[in-house]
Amino acid sequence: MRPKSNRSLLFVEKHYLLLLAPLLIFVAAIAIYPLFFSFYISFFKYRLTDPNQTRTFLGIAHYILAIHDKTVITAIRNTLVFVAGTVVIELLLGLGLALLFAGEGRWMRALRSWLIIPMALPSLVVGLVWKSLYNVDFGVIPYYFKQFGITMGRGPLGEIKWAMPSVILIDIWQWTPLVMIIFLAGLKSLPHDPYEAARVDGANRWQSFWHITLPLLKPSILIVLLLRTMQGFKVFDIIYATTSGGPGTATTVLNFHIYTVGMVFFKMGYAAALANILLIIVAALAILYIIVLERQQI
Amino acid sequence: MSSAMHTSSIERAIRALLITLAVLFFMLPIFWLLTTAFKFGRDAFAIPPKWIFFDFTLKNFQDIWTSTETPRYLLNSIIVSIGATTLSLLLGVPAGYAIARSKSALINASSYFFLLLLMIPPIAMLIPFYLVMRNLHLLGSYAALITLDAIFDAAFVVWMMRSYFQDVPQEMEEAALVDGASPLGAFMRIALPLSLPGIVASALYCIIFSWNDFLFALMLTSPKTKTIPLGIMASFSSVEISWGKMAAMSLIAIIPALIIALFLNRYFVQGMTMGSTKG
Repeated sequence: MRPKSNRSLLFVEKHYLLLLAPLLIFVAAIAIYPLFFSFYISFFKYRLTDPNQTRTFLGIAHYILAIHDKTVITAIRNTLVFVAGTVVIELLLGLGLALLFAGEGRWMRALRSWLIIPMALPSLVVGLVWKSLYNVDFGVIPYYFKQFGITMGRGPLGEIKWAMPSVILIDIWQWTPLVMIIFLAGLKSLPHDPYEAARVDGANRWQSFWHITLPLLKPSILIVLLLRTMQGFKVFDIIYATTSGGPGTATTVLNFHIYTVGMVFFKMGYAAALANILLIIVAALAILYIIVLERQQI
Repeated sequence: MSSAMHTSSIERAIRALLITLAVLFFMLPIFWLLTTAFKFGRDAFAIPPKWIFFDFTLKNFQDIWTSTETPRYLLNSIIVSIGATTLSLLLGVPAGYAIARSKSALINASSYFFLLLLMIPPIAMLIPFYLVMRNLHLLGSYAALITLDAIFDAAFVVWMMRSYFQDVPQEMEEAALVDGASPLGAFMRIALPLSLPGIVASALYCIIFSWNDFLFALMLTSPKTKTIPLGIMASFSSVEISWGKMAAMSLIAIIPALIIALFLNRYFVQGMTMGSTKG
């Protein structure tokens, strides 16, 4: 898109650097320094509850501990289940919604603007609302399930086999609208000609969807996959509001476990080590996302 | 799209049914929250559920407003949101412009650095940031929360404004430069006014991000600087769990989201799609 420069790699325009510099300095001070500190502190035993605030050098012991820590393994597995469950369902549902709500009529516009409300809400509030809907004593959802003859024991959030699907449903409720608007933007930018050609060739609507729309939507699909995967790794508020990782460790995702280790038990060194492991996983995904965005431009 | 060509009546009926189901699925929880805020406890817990016919009351709102804390939570949320948004725009908009207009490979590449920053899981940033703020004795200050919010906000603003400025035609700026304006002047007087919709979209994203944030506020605020989401949690940890009060406070917490989604819908959608799909 932008003109390729043929100047040296280190060439910068001074006036543009001047506009960029304040942010760079701010980010270096507020974000980069703490991240390096996090790397450093992960090699130490450092408990905030220790009255002497001693830091004992442990080397990579925290990282070795993490690999053998059963809760960490469970948390990683739960994170993968959560991410896979939400991403796949949100992708399919979001594509379906985009096709359903693609019209340009007044009603469609109005309905679309209603549908995007969930993603603007605080995740904490979303979690609490669903917690009350799931409540075993007076919740709406267990009540209607009971009408159909399904009793849910300690409720959707209290039973080990129901807890993760219930939390996944909350995420689906909040974020499928985002997937929908990404697909709507993708659908809008589709070229007209291939459909005309397909119609002349006698293709039915299903065939033109399968052979034209889906392949052309590939960039949107990739973006949704990567974006929602990365955001899935960030889930915290709805877990905090609904299950606090329970029952047992059924919904303990890595993010929530790091919070517990660091901010509840104040084992800062170990929490930093776990956070760095999470960071590496997400960074790999982020780089993949960037490559996709870059390719799409060409 | 040529999907509206030959639609049979059966197909239209199925479409209408699916649309109804989708709208119900996404709207009923919000409806439930809205009505619970105006219900007495006995109606909120009624089995079978009372969706429409219940005794209307403003008691929950009276309760949360007369408890001295709520106005403070509200004020704190406003301070943090405005502070973080202002800081992010001041830092992010010029940076986005520089990246969009610069021909330097180094400056252009820095946009990916900001995108990477945006992807960092908040907890990975929070743990070390908490320790740094603790050493600086800034835990519980507005400054701590605002600066950490602003990191994630500003990274988004850069990314968003870069794509926006790329779509703004450069001819007028070039003409101004020929007429003797400085590059800074061309930015301030020509590019900025032309990109106002993009700035609005970025600002909305920042406001929503800070207003909705829970994790950062949970770890970085003191009782004096608690924001609304923490106020909502507080209505739980007290002696009696009041879902009515929770709903009433949640209603206050979601007002900006509702206003934005319903009245500034276009800008909000633009911000969310452009921020995630444009390379």
